[in-house]
Amino acid sequence: MSLSGKTALVVGAGGLGGPALLTLATGGVGRLVLVEDDVVDTSNLARQPLFAERDVGARKAEAAAARLRALFPALALEVRDERFTAANGLELARAADVIVDGSDNFATKFLANDTALRARKPLVHGGVLRTTAQILTVAPAGLGGCLRCLFEAPPPEGSVPSCADAGVLGTTAAFAGALMGAEALRLLAGERGAYEGRLFTFEAKGARGRLVLVRKRQGCPGCAGGAPLEGGAPTAREVASSRPGGVA
Amino acid sequence: MTRPAARVDLRAYACPITFVKTRIALDRLAAGEVLEVWLSAGEPAESVPRSAEEEGHRVLGVEPLEGGAVRVLVEKRADARAGAGSAPAPGGEPWP
Amino acid sequence: MALTDDRIARFSRQLLVPGFGEAAQERLLAARVRVVGASAVAAPALVALVQAGVGRLWIEEPEDVAPADVPGWLFPQSAVGSSRVEAAAAALEPRSRHVVVGPYPMGGVPTATLVFAPSTAQSLAAAEQARRAGLPHVVVEADGEGGAIVTVPPGAPCFACARSAAGSGRPPQPGIAALSALAAQELLLLVALPGTVTGRRIDLVRGVTTTRATARLPGCACAGKAESQGAAASPATE
Repeated sequence: MSLSGKTALVVGAGGLGGPALLTLATGGVGRLVLVEDDVVDTSNLARQPLFAERDVGARKAEAAAARLRALFPALALEVRDERFTAANGLELARAADVIVDGSDNFATKFLANDTALRARKPLVHGGVLRTTAQILTVAPAGLGGCLRCLFEAPPPEGSVPSCADAGVLGTTAAFAGALMGAEALRLLAGERGAYEGRLFTFEAKGARGRLVLVRKRQGCPGCAGGAPLEGGAPTAREVASSRPGGVA
Repeated sequence: MTRPAARVDLRAYACPITFVKTRIALDRLAAGEVLEVWLSAGEPAESVPRSAEEEGHRVLGVEPLEGGAVRVLVEKRADARAGAGSAPAPGGEPWP
Repeated sequence: MALTDDRIARFSRQLLVPGFGEAAQERLLAARVRVVGASAVAAPALVALVQAGVGRLWIEEPEDVAPADVPGWLFPQSAVGSSRVEAAAAALEPRSRHVVVGPYPMGGVPTATLVFAPSTAQSLAAAEQARRAGLPHVVVEADGEGGAIVTVPPGAPCFACARSAAGSGRPPQPGIAALSALAAQELLLLVALPGTVTGRRIDLVRGVTTTRATARLPGCACAGKAESQGAAASPATE
């Protein structure tokens, strides 16, 4: 199935978003919409594949656009040098066929989740922290749970990750971002997502991959408390108790 | 209290470089040795001692310096999560 | 030699990963990695290795950039018809001043090998060469949007013991970038954190991994010490 008529919205062009964008573009998606409001920093270069030395100090949106246009001249690319917020989120989501969330903070991840549900578009969520990656696909009218079913609440306001939490292996982010891009390609082609209702985590040192079922949680504020398929089914609590969000 | 085996003045740096440099300095010490780190006020002063403790080292003391900066004494612990050359995790288990 | 400030800044996020510190980063910067094969499948891995600070990438690849290699992560359209090695070096070097990318030099002595060879026979040959030299190596078997990675630390069961029973895989799909990135990661772990990774095979199918420890097949030459092997190792029979 040709994807030339499809649009993917990608939030973030960094460690997760960059590989996702490259994978989607290689896969022949017709249009990419990129939302990114950060500036390229030296420390980004060890893991964010869209940027090179000369891009340090530049707006990420601009540098990402230049790189993507150079590599994919046939790609229609819309670049929004802004944050993904409640003000622009719904409009952006409605204009896309799939949403890939490569953001690096919890607030945005939950917002992307809620926005995708409201816009009734599939969302590919991803996160990396140190040596562990995680991916979950939230499909509208799907059988699986959403991000809020999985993580009942974001960490409390003002809880700042410690310095050590800022660590991440670039390859872990690249692996996760590429998987997210591949998943988005599947969804755009009309296939069932590999991570729909199933959280995939991968820890690098042990090369340990795991799939954990994520069911709809009764009363979940995200998926409007849709009745779970099996009453009282446990959610992936033990996974949720590890620190999600992390860096991207 | 033992005299510090090494001193690093990191007041010119911001997070997270401050913790990277602290960790590198700790890696170079033997277990039980003490590192003295000077950190500027704000995020470095708050987060570096906390991060060091999270990795299993012992913060022996935090003393004020002028301008809100602090001097932190950290004892390297043998069983702390090191930055380099640490013992292999059995069976490649993920770090906690 | 201690890491300079600019290297600390560049690699700060890596350096913050527990277990990955100055010594690990220095091992990467001192590494000379022989990469066999530089088609589009290898591109994400090449990018990742450069980004992680592998000091020298020596690419062994006789072919030119093919139309099938573009568009992709590395080669612009204008590179089609030019040497893959040159095009890769041109695309990669601006990304990092800490890394040198070029063709595999005559008489070069690598410290690790990453194999993206286009055929099983070439993969076996490259892996065997690395094994005999006692080098850590990683071999990638592409299959559609996934495939398998065989990770061989020195002394571990060899690629011939661990490779797929099936023949060469389906043509690569864009999602294979994930396999490529993962292969780079395996290689980085072997180089940066030696002794922490045991021989394993990772299969990636439809976005999900399965990992198994590799095991020696009876009679395989890899059971002996690398230096003592005079005759060619017999490939494992299925």
